[in-house]
Amino acid sequence: MEFLLDGIREGWHLLLHPDAELKSAFDVTMRVAFFSTLFSLAAGLPLGLLLGLRSFRGRSAGLSLANAGLGLPPVVVGLIVAILLFRMGPFGGLNLLYTVNGIIVAQTLLALPIVVAFTAAAVQAVPTALLDQASALGASRPRVAMLALREARVGIFAAVIAALGSALSEVGAVVLVGGNIQQQTETLASAVLVKVSAGEYGPALAYGFILLGLILVLAAVLTLLQQRGAASLGWRAS
Amino acid sequence: MSSAATALKAVGVSLERGGKTVVSGVDLELGSGEIVALLGPNGAGKSTLLRGLAGLDPLADGRVAARGRVTAALQVPALARRSVLANVEAALSWSGSERGGRRERALDALKLLDATHLAERRALDLSGGEARRVHLARALAVDPDVLLLDEPFAGLDAATRGDLLYDVASAIRHPSRATLVVAHDRAEAWALADRVVVMIGGRLAASGTPREVLETPSTPDVARFVGFAGEIELREEILLLRPADVREDARGDLAGTVLRKIPVEEGFRVDVAVDRGKVVMHLPPPGPEIGSRIRLRTVGGVRFGKPVKPSRV
Repeated sequence: MEFLLDGIREGWHLLLHPDAELKSAFDVTMRVAFFSTLFSLAAGLPLGLLLGLRSFRGRSAGLSLANAGLGLPPVVVGLIVAILLFRMGPFGGLNLLYTVNGIIVAQTLLALPIVVAFTAAAVQAVPTALLDQASALGASRPRVAMLALREARVGIFAAVIAALGSALSEVGAVVLVGGNIQQQTETLASAVLVKVSAGEYGPALAYGFILLGLILVLAAVLTLLQQRGAASLGWRAS
Repeated sequence: MSSAATALKAVGVSLERGGKTVVSGVDLELGSGEIVALLGPNGAGKSTLLRGLAGLDPLADGRVAARGRVTAALQVPALARRSVLANVEAALSWSGSERGGRRERALDALKLLDATHLAERRALDLSGGEARRVHLARALAVDPDVLLLDEPFAGLDAATRGDLLYDVASAIRHPSRATLVVAHDRAEAWALADRVVVMIGGRLAASGTPREVLETPSTPDVARFVGFAGEIELREEILLLRPADVREDARGDLAGTVLRKIPVEEGFRVDVAVDRGKVVMHLPPPGPEIGSRIRLRTVGGVRFGKPVKPSRV
């Protein structure tokens, strides 16, 4: 119990007097979370819409792939990305290994199936009759897709929350691709891992609590936005 | 387009559903200012044809040419999860209407369908009749040159349907608009349309004014569909009879046995088995007993020879 209280005390102290390592880890974590979520949404929303709304050969395979991607082992994704980014690898020339940008690439790949699968499921639940009617009234395909996204926005927010949560808490791919270089590629989650390995349980707990607090705050803000969306859609009893 | 007044022309249109042909070789022309009712039994292909004409489903064969904007109000009054006014404004946005005048146009369309009071309501809170009004207002708001309506009164109770029918009849009439209304109920077609087209088994089987189609149906199938429910086989012809074409008469030349007796609004609908056929008639209460023998005479009907050709009795 004393041990836990020490961790909380140290975490509180670090919050009030953040050192350079914490500031860097916080900054890297936020950058990775923001950009990987952004990129996975940019690629995943159109793919999810395509799989959810259109009928074509290979659609079922695409949906299965996206759903299987929800269980992608981060450490395997990290390993593959790292190999691809090795200096002698096919993308070695990009010099992304052991950089924050490299971590963003790996994390985007991990978040992409989450966004695709959640988006496809959400837009599939939008009544076909509504989308057909929009077409009958002259809506172009992009406008119909926008209508589907709007109607499915509660589910889309769930995709954002899941993608962001994955980016904030991911360790395996971050360490393999980023190398966990202190004050360069270390994130809050990977810092916890390193500190536990080094036997520094107090700081590990402190970083862990800060990470948990960050996840709670972001999830709360996004959930608030999601539920506002739900209320405006009439999904609550009036 | 064959003439200046033609707003939509379909030639040899065929459509498939699930690999099966459900509409076959349909030729149809709609004139500006004309309201045409497309009638037919369930599964005749009416809604499929409408989707094809609206460009929602690909044609398996044939072609459709339209002058101006074609808009359809499909059978399900699907509204987005937003206010009624926002739904109508969205339709205007999709159709390319300029942002500036959308609100006024949306309110004008709602007014046409007596739905202005619903403007600020959430669309999902509307009753079935209210949703139908908004659904139709949305299609009228875009001011189409060709308006396609798929069973606009489906699923409504008789009173709501009556009210809406009256409002729609005046709202859809426009001198420069061609309107096609898919109807299941003959009474709706008679109330709305200048011309009736009957579709049976995926093909157009009859076309004409409501009176023409009713008085001189082109085939036995059309006759049965428009209400000739009785049928007697004669030597070289068949005689099809509406309930109004049969009277109970103690000195009538037909005798029959009462098979069924179903209460209707003003008495009973009675099915009577006669020699080489069956007739249906309406009788006042108390009506005959089931199984009893009654004598009848016919006062109308249509005869179809072999090969089939109609002639009034």
